[in-house]
Amino acid sequence: MKLNTFRKKSPWILHYNAGGCNGCDIEILACLAPKYDIERFGMINSGNPKQSDVLLVTGPVTKRSRERLVEVYAQMPEPKVVISCGACACTGGVFRGMYNCEGGIDQYIPVDVYVCGCATRPEQIIDGVIQGLSILEKKTKELEQSVRLKNEPVKEGTQLNRRNIAAEIIKTS
Amino acid sequence: MKEVLIPVLLILLAPAIGCLVYGFERIVKARMQRRIGPPLLQPFYDFLKLAEKRSMIVHSTHAFLGIMHFVALWFALAVLLFGGDLILVIFLHLLSTSLLILAAYSTRSIFSHLGANRTVISILCYEPVLILIAVAVYMLTGSFDAASIFNGSEPLLFRMPAAFVALLMILPIKLKKSPFDVAEAHQELTGGVELEFSGVFFAAIYAAKWVDYVFCYTLVYLFGASDPLLGIGLMAFVFLYLNALDNSSARVNYKQMLRFSFVVALPVAFINLLLTILGLHL
Amino acid sequence: MYPFITSLFIVPVAVSALLLILPKGLSRLLIITTSVILSGISLYLFMTITNPLHFGVPHFMDGVVSVADIVLLFYFGSVAIRRKSWLVGVLTILQLGAVSWLLTMKHAGSELQFTVDKLSVFMFLLINVISGIIAIFSIQYIDSEDCSAFRKKYFLSLLLWFIAVMNLIVSSDNMEYFFLFFELTTLASFLFIGFRKDAESSKNALTALWMNQIGGLAILVAIFFISINGYGAATFSNLLVHSSAPGIMLPLALFCIAALVKGAQIPFSKWLLGAMVAPTPVSALLHSSTMVKIAPFIILRLSPALKGTTVASVVIALTAFVFVAAAIGALSQDNFKRILAHSTIALLALMIMMAAVGTPVTAVACLTLIFFHGLSKCMLFLNAGVLERVFHFKQSSDMDRLGETGPFTSLVISVGFMSLLLPPFGAFIGKWFSIESMGALATHQKILGALVIVAIACGGAILSLLYFKVLGSLIARRGASDDIKFEKTKPLYYDTLCILMGMIFLGVLGFPLLLTHFFAPIASQTLSMPIAVTTVGWKLHIGAMTLPVIPMMIAFLLLPVTFIAAMFVRFGNVDRAKEYACGEKIDYSFSSLYFPTDKASPYFSLIGIAFFVILIVVSVF
Repeated sequence: MKLNTFRKKSPWILHYNAGGCNGCDIEILACLAPKYDIERFGMINSGNPKQSDVLLVTGPVTKRSRERLVEVYAQMPEPKVVISCGACACTGGVFRGMYNCEGGIDQYIPVDVYVCGCATRPEQIIDGVIQGLSILEKKTKELEQSVRLKNEPVKEGTQLNRRNIAAEIIKTS
Repeated sequence: MKEVLIPVLLILLAPAIGCLVYGFERIVKARMQRRIGPPLLQPFYDFLKLAEKRSMIVHSTHAFLGIMHFVALWFALAVLLFGGDLILVIFLHLLSTSLLILAAYSTRSIFSHLGANRTVISILCYEPVLILIAVAVYMLTGSFDAASIFNGSEPLLFRMPAAFVALLMILPIKLKKSPFDVAEAHQELTGGVELEFSGVFFAAIYAAKWVDYVFCYTLVYLFGASDPLLGIGLMAFVFLYLNALDNSSARVNYKQMLRFSFVVALPVAFINLLLTILGLHL
Repeated sequence: MYPFITSLFIVPVAVSALLLILPKGLSRLLIITTSVILSGISLYLFMTITNPLHFGVPHFMDGVVSVADIVLLFYFGSVAIRRKSWLVGVLTILQLGAVSWLLTMKHAGSELQFTVDKLSVFMFLLINVISGIIAIFSIQYIDSEDCSAFRKKYFLSLLLWFIAVMNLIVSSDNMEYFFLFFELTTLASFLFIGFRKDAESSKNALTALWMNQIGGLAILVAIFFISINGYGAATFSNLLVHSSAPGIMLPLALFCIAALVKGAQIPFSKWLLGAMVAPTPVSALLHSSTMVKIAPFIILRLSPALKGTTVASVVIALTAFVFVAAAIGALSQDNFKRILAHSTIALLALMIMMAAVGTPVTAVACLTLIFFHGLSKCMLFLNAGVLERVFHFKQSSDMDRLGETGPFTSLVISVGFMSLLLPPFGAFIGKWFSIESMGALATHQKILGALVIVAIACGGAILSLLYFKVLGSLIARRGASDDIKFEKTKPLYYDTLCILMGMIFLGVLGFPLLLTHFFAPIASQTLSMPIAVTTVGWKLHIGAMTLPVIPMMIAFLLLPVTFIAAMFVRFGNVDRAKEYACGEKIDYSFSSLYFPTDKASPYFSLIGIAFFVILIVVSVF
């Protein structure tokens, strides 16, 4: 049995709010509750990027939260998927064009699944996560870069100093 | 030959047994919350997934001490299963926890430091009680070795029931379960000491948690040692008790935990010791 | 044999006189050679002496001792007058009265004033080796002290003179000689603590003086009672011979009081805590490794007489209480040396307790604790000196960046603290033996045994909290680079610390050997009972206690080797990430835990005083 299949069986979630209104956050937390119960898929809400595989981001990226978003993303080990939940995370949603928001998180980090809705329903979130898991299974341990950096992906066996990645990504923005 | 084979088998399979116990615990916890819960082998899947991630560490000292924490805890369990001196076992467990605490202190991470501070305080809460229980065992069996418990006629549970009550009081502190999980307060400290570990290094810490389960349940088994059925029954009872308590109680802060340990748990263990000593001469 | 023993007395005094006049380079060389010579002699004596050697000095030395007593007491009187301290004055007058009364009373003298048995050579080894190392350390330390060149020479010569006094005190059998040397150590304390001549030092020196004088007075009253009741000569061997005579309890209790005062047990702990203002080699030498070890030494000498008596029970109860109280009191301290002082008081209480119980296992535990605690505390205090001189701070909450700026120092401090706490180190083994042997005590004296076990368990756990409190701020490193560059300190600092650490590790590795060939025979000779040491399979049986050797050796690999290896292990080819702080970019400073336990100290003192009163009352009736 290839070890890749175990990624699908035990995805640990990190949920990050990049400046949103908390509507999608509440829906995400409802997924963990008894009614929708995503723990039956082995998902736990770990609060710690170093131990999670799936990054669920809500909210449009405000100027304050973008550094922290990238920092959290950089501290997650590969292979990982990013799922942007809600219209704000996908495209900026209701706040698109405002002075303090960028237009969605894919300006900074590579997104794998876009889940629409304002707020997204738990069923859509679970659907999105399941789709993300099948993408996760195919991923390698290379480090992907965001749209802005446009560098070569960092190969599996090389050592990388991740302490500076976040600063680099922000610098080029 | 047989008395070496069983402990060796148990020691080698300890992480696997702990994995099954931990998985079963997650199912029981989910069912208590009227959910379905993960499959039984979920911790095993977690472990394999973690082993397969791209590794990431803060610095080598931290990662190395984390791995050695797992090794030391496994070794403490090995000494216990071979019937070693109970006080030595308690202090070897302290040694392994110290390695984890040192690992947590060695990074400049606030959550790690806070978690380590709180872990040190929880050591203060459960260690005196364990030592008092071990001394009470010595009073009854004449030796500190765990092996001598198996030679007694009556199970320890009936000869010193108060010690079992004291053990029940401190097991939540040791296993970091509500209401005494200040050390690993997930909502406050995002994991405390385990925070900066990732990938295969976190797999070691995760496996150490399983071994800790086996350790604590072995301590419970010792209370029903000469009668295997009673021992297994006690383990099942403690399992249900711990999970019911975990699911139904809120977290207390560290001062309340200290107060509970020194005002309730320690006097119970002390009364047990006194009764054992006085009972020997009646 | 005799020339070696007397050289241990005379060489330090001669060197001390020479140091006052020699120039700096020569005196350095002299100190190093003297340390090596003294250590060599004491090691040789340790290996070769098996039966106790009794020897005497010409009778006129009795007169010299009495004259020295009176001169010393007049000096104390002058201090009392100069500093206007009525406590010192009153105590000096009482002591002068007692001494003159003893002079006028016709009491039997003793022929053999000195006894060198296994316990004495054990103390010789400890004293000379540790003092040698501290003397070498203080060459560098006192060089950077802010005082005149003559005062620096004075410090070093006083240190060497003190070694001679310590050698004399552990080999004297005659109680009057013992009193003289006891008061000479008090004088040494007084002079050393007041060395820096500022207001706080002078105040603390006076406190040390009058508290230790109480101990001296207790010794004099004990001699008085022994002479009055006609037990013969006032010597320790005589006391042990008459151990079941009526009325012997009072002198025994008085000696216990002297030991408890010298060991800074509550309520007499203030002098040791105040002594921390002295230069660090003083704290290392007097107040942790050698002088305060006189306390368990006295009790060990007297333990055949003390065993099982009510006086012993009161001493055990008192020291059990002090073990917990000192540990609790330490939790509110921030000054690094004060934390070490509190921990010393607590461990001394444990040693005195072990000696007072007097069974074979506890005697071995006491010796183990004396030896390894001496080594570990010496290393920790010398480190405190390095912190003071090289890094310029004294509070443990300032230690935040030490893991980065001074990795070697933080490594040594961590190893030092762990060596007091965890297996497989010696101090842990002493604690382990004590817990196990208290189980045996509890079968005879039920309530006392149970309370003592609770005290040891709680005190041990609180001490571990204390050590982690300091360790916490000490080893934190940024992960920016994996490389650890050990800082360059002065060679004398570095070398002495390495020697001490090496000795601790050797002691751990060779512990079964030490136990069977040295500690057990010493204990059995002191207690005058045979101790069976057998090896069954991989376990070592000593009396009623079993030491599993293999787990201890594996624990050695798991703890100190792991910790030191952790500094050198490199996981190449693995990503380095930042610490998680929810993405924030603030830089933090770390401090240590604090518990407001100093509010309890007055209550502790009251309880201590109550215990002392009970001790006297119990011994009289």
